[in-house]
Amino acid sequence: MKSKTYGKKSWAFAGGCIPVDSTGKEPDYVSQEVLSILNTTPEEALVQLTFFYTDKEPVGGYEIKVAPQRIRMFSINDLIDPQAVPLGVPYGGVLESNVPVVVQLTRQHTGQSALALMGITVYQADGNS
Amino acid sequence: MSNEWTNWSGSVRFSPEEIAAPASERGVVELVQQAIAQRKGIRIVGAGHSSVPLVQTNHVLVSQHKLKGAVGHDPASHRVNMLPGTSISEAGEELIKLKLSMHNTGDVDMQYLAGAFGTGTHGSGRTLQNLSSMLVGCKLVDGTGELRSFSLEEHPDIMRAAKVSLGALGFFTELTIQAEPAVLYARKEYCSHIDVSLEHLEELIDSNRMFDMYWYPRSDRTKLRTCNQLGEGMDDIPFAEKAEQSKGWLYEILPQFRDLKYEEMEYIIPLEAGPECFREIRKRIKEKHRQYVGWRVLYRTIAADDVYLSPFYNQESVTIAVLQNNELEYKKYFDDIEPIFRAYGGRPHWGKKHSLAARDFQELYPEWEKFLKIRQQFDPEGIFLNDYLKKIFGL
Ligand SMILES: Cc1cc2nc3c(=O)[nH]c(=O)nc-3n(C[C@H](O)[C@H](O)[C@H](O)COP(=O)(O)OP(=O)(O)OC[C@H]3O[C@@H](n4cnc5c(N)ncnc54)[C@H](O)[C@@H]3O)c2cc1C
Repeated sequence: MKSKTYGKKSWAFAGGCIPVDSTGKEPDYVSQEVLSILNTTPEEALVQLTFFYTDKEPVGGYEIKVAPQRIRMFSINDLIDPQAVPLGVPYGGVLESNVPVVVQLTRQHTGQSALALMGITVYQADGNS
Repeated sequence: MSNEWTNWSGSVRFSPEEIAAPASERGVVELVQQAIAQRKGIRIVGAGHSSVPLVQTNHVLVSQHKLKGAVGHDPASHRVNMLPGTSISEAGEELIKLKLSMHNTGDVDMQYLAGAFGTGTHGSGRTLQNLSSMLVGCKLVDGTGELRSFSLEEHPDIMRAAKVSLGALGFFTELTIQAEPAVLYARKEYCSHIDVSLEHLEELIDSNRMFDMYWYPRSDRTKLRTCNQLGEGMDDIPFAEKAEQSKGWLYEILPQFRDLKYEEMEYIIPLEAGPECFREIRKRIKEKHRQYVGWRVLYRTIAADDVYLSPFYNQESVTIAVLQNNELEYKKYFDDIEPIFRAYGGRPHWGKKHSLAARDFQELYPEWEKFLKIRQQFDPEGIFLNDYLKKIFGL
């Protein structure tokens, strides 16, 4: 029997900006943006990320693998391959997966000690060529 | 046609008139004699992993990829003669055929033996000396074109100069290395937090044959890596979470594969100053640099030696390295951190970024003048010098 899978292969978000300042003990209270990827398919998802900026060329080539029928959450702050994403700089992202996935972006801003959390939606993007 | 040459990280580029690749010792001697006759400079390149212009030249750049392999072995002393272009990984493979091993490796194994020795390349381990300490004898073509042989027993002073010599004494055509009987090792990686890691740092360093620590500036997480002979060292690290482990010969399990290019500055400071220097660097990175820097900081230890230009000269040492993606701005970061290293009496790694020149080295190296004197005798016309080495040596 074929099990149902969820999501899309292409996703995008426009309002990224990782806060520079943090308060509280790290890593729990570091200001960060976390991408969560849900892969309900029976195959490993290979997700390619490209980040876009206001004043420089896009940087692509980030790769994230998500095991079959698993979620994976990772902090964009921690990415260094191919290069670190700058903090305090507006950016957007496009994700392309080989299998349908569901994507969510969460920002944690601890710049002030009264912590606020904000979930951000990432949009299904049907690329036009 | 342009002969552009680029180092591993891409920040050193130049176009030599010629890239030569001799296939024998005779070929090296002829090449050096020809350069002398034509009044041309020669620089010798290993795997090209250094990120300062040690090998830059407008004239002849010599590649050693045809000078590889083991060419002799004394079973009684565990000494093995290797050609200079043998990489660390190839040396490991050659040695294991003789049931022997190097005492340590650096983080990667792509460097050539002569290139690794040339800059005092090191791994980590409180009681372990750098890789150059393995060099107990050599054959070398000097700046007059003469092929000469040296050994630790017969020429201790020359070997103290030769072990770390930046390719400035001449061309090593054969290296006698001191190996040791091969035994199995266990390598483990753990994830932890910087506060706990610093609290236990001394214990981690003292209880493991090889230990190093990565600190991740954007999360305060750490990676703790140990490597011990089977049955030795800390069996487990109770305050950290084990992430990986492997068992095998040292050359198989210790070095890592790195293809993500980065720039690096690493300083060697006295062992006891390590934690304080690290704390200061961590504070500065968190206050000022982590907006653009995601790369980890590496903390290692190395035993003292008596080699004139070894950064570990007469000093039990800690090494601290700061890294940045090679395509991102690294200079402002390194320039800001370097004075902290300097304040702790730091000596820079010879193959990585730094801004020091002859005046600074004279103060940092008690036997600096002895090295310069030997260099002058070995290469009176300076055919092995380039502009960068002249700046380093104050010539
Ligand atoms: C990814 C990476 C990881 C690294 N990890 C470490 C580490 O863990 N520990 C560490 O200490 N360093 C490390 N380094 C630095 C590196 O080990 C040194 O820069 C080393 O010198 C590079 O060796 P090489 O074979 O590339 O030599 P090169 O950089 O090509 O040359 C180094 C010097 O050796 C001289 N030389 C080479 N062959 C001869 C010869 N036959 N006769 C005379 N002189 C010669 C050259 O002229 C030059 O002065 C790393 C570098 C990179 C890029």
